[in-house]
Amino acid sequence: MGRYFRLFATQVRYSLTVAAQYRLDFLIEALLSVFTAATAIVPLFVVFKSGRTVAGWSWQEALVVFGWFVFLKAVLEGAITPSLTAVVDHIRKGTLDFVLLKPADAQFLVSTAKFEPQRIVDATAAIGVLVWALRALGHVPTLAEISTSFLMLIAALLVLYSLWILVVSVAFIAVRVDNLSFFFSSLFDAARWPSSVFRGAWRIVFTFVVPLALMTTVPAQALLGKLSFGTAALSITGALLFAATARAIWIVAIGKYTSAGG
Amino acid sequence: MPSAIVTRDLRKNYRVASRAPGLKAAARALFNRTYKDVHAVAGVSFSIEPGERVGFLGPNGAGKTTTLKMLAGLLHPTSGEARVLDYEPRRRATDFLKQITLVMGNKQQLLWDLPPAETFALNRAIYEIEPRLFNETLAEISQLLELGDLVNKPARQLSLGERMKCELCAALLHRPKVLFLDEPTIGLDVSLQATVRSFIRAYNERFGATVILTSHYMDDVAALCPRVIVIDRGALIYDGALTELVQRVRPDKRITVRLSRPVEKITLSSLGELVEHEPTRAVLQVKSNALQASVAALMALPLVDLSVEDPPLEDVMRDLFAAQRKGLA
Repeated sequence: MGRYFRLFATQVRYSLTVAAQYRLDFLIEALLSVFTAATAIVPLFVVFKSGRTVAGWSWQEALVVFGWFVFLKAVLEGAITPSLTAVVDHIRKGTLDFVLLKPADAQFLVSTAKFEPQRIVDATAAIGVLVWALRALGHVPTLAEISTSFLMLIAALLVLYSLWILVVSVAFIAVRVDNLSFFFSSLFDAARWPSSVFRGAWRIVFTFVVPLALMTTVPAQALLGKLSFGTAALSITGALLFAATARAIWIVAIGKYTSAGG
Repeated sequence: MPSAIVTRDLRKNYRVASRAPGLKAAARALFNRTYKDVHAVAGVSFSIEPGERVGFLGPNGAGKTTTLKMLAGLLHPTSGEARVLDYEPRRRATDFLKQITLVMGNKQQLLWDLPPAETFALNRAIYEIEPRLFNETLAEISQLLELGDLVNKPARQLSLGERMKCELCAALLHRPKVLFLDEPTIGLDVSLQATVRSFIRAYNERFGATVILTSHYMDDVAALCPRVIVIDRGALIYDGALTELVQRVRPDKRITVRLSRPVEKITLSSLGELVEHEPTRAVLQVKSNALQASVAALMALPLVDLSVEDPPLEDVMRDLFAAQRKGLA
């Protein structure tokens, strides 16, 4: 365990070194991602203007969901997507060989290969949005609410990460999954809306296929003190189950690896 | 001591979709796919003792790399057995992976945006190498490969040769007991090829490591590997000493002579098969048993210099594979 922690620290250090080496890139990317987050809020403005509520959510409450969405997206794009995009590239070029030859867990190594520290800027902005929305609501979350909210966020990250591992597992067989990752991120964009906004078929898709509710709505509910114990327990169990399934499929997929090129 | 590497009837089949070229055939293949099994490795058995240096030869697509990858645990064999250092490679046991390495001339593990020193440090963490041992090994390898200041330049700024040297270093820092080298000198200039070769030999002698090498540069094999294993179309066709293989396939010698004045072509070609001919230089090919007679006859000519060599290994291999194909037809 200590060894993996050290390895993790080393990998993070490398990403920081690379980011520091390219200062201008760092600045531009940080600015760009804040801009992207800012534009993502526009549709919410349009829908919620003139103080109406949508599916039982007021503007400020929906903003809490949005804040979590930006935060989650920052963590996702800062800590999960870069590594896993790199694996797909590894598979295509055949350099995954080197990862599989290392005497450490391959899933761990590929999952921690690359970080984008500039996403910290988005995460900070997201916290700003959350604080602003909560003040506007006049709600001061208790310590219990904050910690439950974070626990729900971790469950959400686990689900997102597992989804990615599943995508990568498919890459062992299909190789070209770059498009699949676009599909994945556009689905994820729907998480900026409170989950009860969706009806019918979308609701089923976003509950069972890509559990969006779990990702942003549940942590927001926790922060607003509106989360039931049952939903919290279900979220955690679901997330753990998801992770276990992804791990099992990953192990099967690695056995099917055919190693590209010569 | 048990063998370092043993394979018994090792096989690897790939199932590939086959179709005729063209759009129509591609559309048809979408709905009605036909598969065929490709026997990349079709029952290979051999054993290699600790400390041996073995050349793995065969034409492109013969199954060399597939075999190496099965031995390194990257690919799961379809059937048969592979054991390396008494481990089953496909299980990828941590203790097994800590004792082997695979170097591929056409792929790189160095972190692209960072200096090689960072890759080395990462490998130190992954392989759990003690700091003292790590520094010792690094110093030794750096000296043998003359790495000098290279390790502190970002990998993407290094030349191909410099990068390959650092690749070798990164692959050997954990002092593996078994080295799988797949075309380690590909694309390198002649002097770098020689550096890499002498480094591999030095590593093998210093640490008693077992080396399997595949290369298209026959000079690599001739300089490094007393023993060769030849495979063609997934099957083993020769396993033994390199000198014996040359004897068997091309039992002839090449005599190169330099002359003080031109000699008529007809005089030379009466002494053996004339391979090259310039006014004052000629290369003759003769059967081993006729060598003495030919040399004696050449002595009568106005000689400046005379040397006898085996035919180039490239020619030996070409003849071997040609004979093999004929035998199969």
